[in-house]
This record gives sequence, C-alpha cells and structure tokens, in this order.
Amino acid sequence: MSQPAGLRKVWGAPLLLAALTVFGLLSALLGTGVWHWLAWIAIGIPVMVLAWYLWPHGSRKRST
Amino acid sequence: MAAGKRIRLWFLVHKWTSLICTVFMLLLCLTGLPLIFTHEIDDLLSGDPPYVELPANTPRANLDRIIEASRARYSSEAIRFIFIDDEEPQVVVTMSPSTDSDPKHNHSLKFDARGGKLISEKPPEAQSMTFMGLMLRLHIDLFAGLAGELFLGFMGLLLVIAIVSGMVLYGPFMKKLDFGTVREGRSARLKWLDLHNLLGIATLAWAFVVGLTGVINELSTPMFQYWQSQTLPALLAPYQGKPMPPQREMAAVQGIYESVRRAMPESVTVSIVYPTEKFGSPQHFILWNKGNTPLTSRLFTAALLDARSGALVAIPEPPWYLKALEVSRPLHFGDYAGMPLKILWAVLDVITIVVLGSGLYLWIARRKQTGERITQLERRHEQLAGAAARAS
Repeated sequence: MSQPAGLRKVWGAPLLLAALTVFGLLSALLGTGVWHWLAWIAIGIPVMVLAWYLWPHGSRKRST
Repeated sequence: MAAGKRIRLWFLVHKWTSLICTVFMLLLCLTGLPLIFTHEIDDLLSGDPPYVELPANTPRANLDRIIEASRARYSSEAIRFIFIDDEEPQVVVTMSPSTDSDPKHNHSLKFDARGGKLISEKPPEAQSMTFMGLMLRLHIDLFAGLAGELFLGFMGLLLVIAIVSGMVLYGPFMKKLDFGTVREGRSARLKWLDLHNLLGIATLAWAFVVGLTGVINELSTPMFQYWQSQTLPALLAPYQGKPMPPQREMAAVQGIYESVRRAMPESVTVSIVYPTEKFGSPQHFILWNKGNTPLTSRLFTAALLDARSGALVAIPEPPWYLKALEVSRPLHFGDYAGMPLKILWAVLDVITIVVLGSGLYLWIARRKQTGERITQLERRHEQLAGAAARAS
C-alpha cells in the first residue's frame, strides 16, 4: 500500500499549490496593499508552474 | 480488491457528474471570461463622457434634486432604487413603469454625484440587450429566471463533486508518475490524460472555490426571500390593512439617507430601495450599507425606514447565510484585488476550459476505444463461428 514517502511524492506538489491558492484568495480578500501583491504572487505560482511544465522544449520531465 | 472497487466507484462519480455538467460549465467559462472585466468593458462601451474635473471638496448633490430631475423626465413612472457609487462620483436612479414591473423594463439615469447633472441614460434590457447583458443572463439564469438560477446552481454542485472525485482519482493515477509528467509519443489519449490531470490538479483549489461560491451565488434569490420572510412580517404587523403609499407621499430621500448616515457612521450607504409589494417591503425604504475595512466592505447591512415618515425602524443584524453569500461574491468574480487578479482569473478560467474540454475528449476517445474493442471481439466471434460452420 502507499507509504508516507509515496504519499508525499504524489501529493506534495498539489497540496503546496492548493495551499498557495487558498492563501492568495484570502490575503486578497482580507488585506490591502502588500497583501494584494502577495495574493498575485501566490495565485500566480500554480499558473507559472504549469507554464514551466508545459512550455515546449522546456526542461519538462518525460517518462520512459 | 476493495481499493480497486473504490477507485472504480469514484471514477463513475467523476465521469457522470462531469458529463452532465460539462456543456454548461463550458458555457459558464466562456461567458464568465468577459464578465471578469465587466467594469472595464462597460467603461469602454458606455460612451459616457468622462467626469468633469471638480475641486475635491465639491459638496455632493442633494438626492432629492436628483429624484426631482428623474421624475420630471418620466413623470408617469416609479423609482425602483438608487445606487450611490462609492468609487466613482455617480448616482444611478433606476425607474420602471410601476413599482412592481418586470425588472426587464427597468431603465436607469446616471447623474454626477457632485453637481447632480444628468450624464447619460440606459434603456431597459427588454428594449436593447447589450453584449454584457447577454453574457450576464447566460451566465446566471439562461433567461429562465429562478428556475435557471437553480438549474445552473445544481450544475455547479455537480462540478464541485467532479472536482472532489477528480482529486481522489489523481492519487492512484499518479502513483508511478512524477508530478508534471506528460507522456508524449505513445498515444494522444495518454498525453491528454496527463494534461487533464496536471492542469486539473494545479488549479484544483481555485476551481473548487469559484465553483462553490458560484453555487452559493445562484442561491441568492431564495436566500433573500427567506431573509425577507424572517425579517419583514414583524415589521409590517403595525401596518396591517394599509396599502403601500404612493411615491409622492413618501418621505424625502435625502433626509432618510442622512439619518442612516448618522445611525451608522462606520459604514457607507450604497443603495436605496423604494417600497415595493413584490421585491421588498411595501412600507419601508431599505438602505443597504457596507463597512469600510477590506472584509466588511463586502458585507451589507440593511436599514429599514418608514415609507411615509422616514423614521428609522430597524437595522437587523445580517444572518450568517447572507454573510456567506456576500463573501462568496468577490471570491467568484475575482474583482477584489485589482487588474492582476482579474488577469489571473481569466488565465485560470481558460485553463479550466482546457480541463473540461480534455475531459470530454478522454470520454469520447475511451468510448471509441471500447467500441473498437467490441467490433474486434465481434469479428473474432464471427470468424470463429464461420470456421466452426465450415468444419462441420
């Protein structure tokens, strides 16, 4: 069955991206000024991560 | 074996909830895309002249003068509500043939909040549907009123279930793969499966929040009706048997506005709803007020005032479900932290379209595969049957 290490391998990145998104959505809602900047960065990270993985000729990982 | 069965069950949940809602979700993503930029597009298309430069300390126009000017223009009509913008110096008066006409006959007059000068007019939706008006109706109710709102709300609920079940399936699918793996060169289906999983899991939290808050927004009509049914009967009891007063016998609005400002100095009044039989209280003006911190500026509190005397009757504490609805609005619209957030909202919306489209493609490709496999089996069966017939 799935060991903690396997769990972390599968869920580490998704959970981190979800946590960043939630942080961004809330900091945009509850704060102003610098909190809006943090929100843009936090919500932007999942988009940047996708761009990094999907960019053609990028350092995308290929399975064999 | 039990785990395998569980995965199969989650897969069925994911497949069916997605299949039912996907067409509507594609429509909502497409119409939602321009709606993110409603404010900018309206500014661009309105053709209204820019606000005249006036000294910052110019006093605000008396609301009664603005109302007089509106009545002078449409003497046989009724005023429905007045919007007092706290971002731009505008006051918008919405009128219609009578106090309880179908809202599609509402038309509005935009005044400069400082000089009280009429800036522009907007015709009723029934007369000329704007592009953004069309997007809004397709996004909210498919032109079907409450039934459409509840239907799209239910589709949104299916999307939320599809997102949760998709998340559950992500684990077993990715057990042997690194995050971000896209297997190219084997089959188109495999490549799109990986893309579907990657795009879906990376935008999961956003799609979940926007989906859930969309569902809550679709419940706003019943929520407000419930709130009215809880709030109004006690306040209307003293007026039993009395008809709604005609608008000309109602209290002057400027006085009402000022008494609410004195009673709630920590807030801003954003709208004044006139007494109405169907859509509010027949004996009260309802003024909606919002707070002045980032969070409380999203939360609206109603103040009810006697239609004839203008006396402040009640400022009921908003119940939890209205607070939830009001916090759901920005979280769904994405209009609460400047242009960068709106752009991110648009990008995430487009990614969601790709997730929906690829999901649909995977289902079709899988069906085709299954169909081909069945044809193959059939052919083999026929061949065997033919061989058996020849042998006999």
